[in-house]
Amino acid sequence: MSGEIACHGCDLLVDVSALSDGATADCPRCGGFLTRFRTDAYERVLASALGAIICLLLANSFPFLSFAASGLESVMTLRSTPMSLWEHGMPEVALLVAAFIIYIPAAVLVLLVLLAVPLNKKVHRWWLKPVAHLLFELQNWAMVEVFIIGVIVSLVKIAAMATVVLGISFWAYAAFSILFTYAVISLDRYQCWKLIEELEAA
Amino acid sequence: MSEQQDTALSQGLAACHLCCKLAPLDQHHCPRCGSAMHARKAGSLQRTVALLITACILYIPANTLPIMLTDQLGKTEPSTIMGGVILLIKLGSVPVALVIFIFSVLVPSGKLMAMFYLVWSVHSGSNASPRQRSLMYRMTEFIGKWSMVDVFVVAILVALVHLGGLLVIRPGIAALAFAGVVIVTMVAAESFDSRLMWDAMEEDDDNSST
Repeated sequence: MSGEIACHGCDLLVDVSALSDGATADCPRCGGFLTRFRTDAYERVLASALGAIICLLLANSFPFLSFAASGLESVMTLRSTPMSLWEHGMPEVALLVAAFIIYIPAAVLVLLVLLAVPLNKKVHRWWLKPVAHLLFELQNWAMVEVFIIGVIVSLVKIAAMATVVLGISFWAYAAFSILFTYAVISLDRYQCWKLIEELEAA
Repeated sequence: MSEQQDTALSQGLAACHLCCKLAPLDQHHCPRCGSAMHARKAGSLQRTVALLITACILYIPANTLPIMLTDQLGKTEPSTIMGGVILLIKLGSVPVALVIFIFSVLVPSGKLMAMFYLVWSVHSGSNASPRQRSLMYRMTEFIGKWSMVDVFVVAILVALVHLGGLLVIRPGIAALAFAGVVIVTMVAAESFDSRLMWDAMEEDDDNSST
């Protein structure tokens, strides 16, 4: 029973105990992804999560885009994006945008680091379970890569009106979105919980 | 004819939705992570339909009310989602218009229709290829958050374009409705249980073998 996983999509029981390093298991019946086993998974998670944290800090410190027309200029930063919605009387949307592009991704990264450090060293820590619990609840609500597409669409929309200059933050956020996505997909739900259980029992 | 395939349920087991742990059906909480456990998501079809109807209702103001207001030299021009697409075509940027049309019109409405179809197919006990329906479900699940692009575009343009009396972009109320549509549809996709499609097929197998 310990080496089996029930497919989330169709409930089929599949034996995944004999996966070799780097191998992915898909459900033979519905084709859905089951799990991926990697011996260095937590090193990958840790490296990309730390890189993503640095990029997010950079993205927070510089102008994101600047816009100039008829001698006037205005600048957008990462934090001013939700803030200006708030100022225009849309606090609900402002909070959602801030959560999706800054706060949830930042929380996910901190949780990933808290999880990956002990798991990489194969030691048990009391916070492993609550952290993993929160992480898997939160991670679907980070919309980092969607925001980057939003920036590109906005650029194209207003490029005809005026000159738009990409700031340092744009590049930092683009790198952040790649590292963030890589960190999240490198943490395998099944393998992570199995390891936590093994460490707790040991 | 086909090889006997065991599901967790047929073995008297339920899988934890959060940590994948397999536990006997009589357990109400996951022995590993403590989440509530169900063999199948509770009230899946009813919840999904209720959320889909909510999303459809929100979809009306999201498309008919202005999502963005442009103040240019003292003149205010409201624009709806479709209005923006038509304007871009008139300006000659057909590729951008196409991208916005796909993300803001086709994807959200297609997603709602796909979810309605999946719920109906389970409710009516349809035996249309469950493998293809599973793929359809995974696609709607994956595509869910991408519709948020529109809300982000409004947020970005509002934050970026504020040139005093010359040119200012303000958010419209449809941005709130549209964010609602995206979130409610994501929750609807989450509450749908795709295992129900496969359960119906197994019952057919049982009936034909006896």
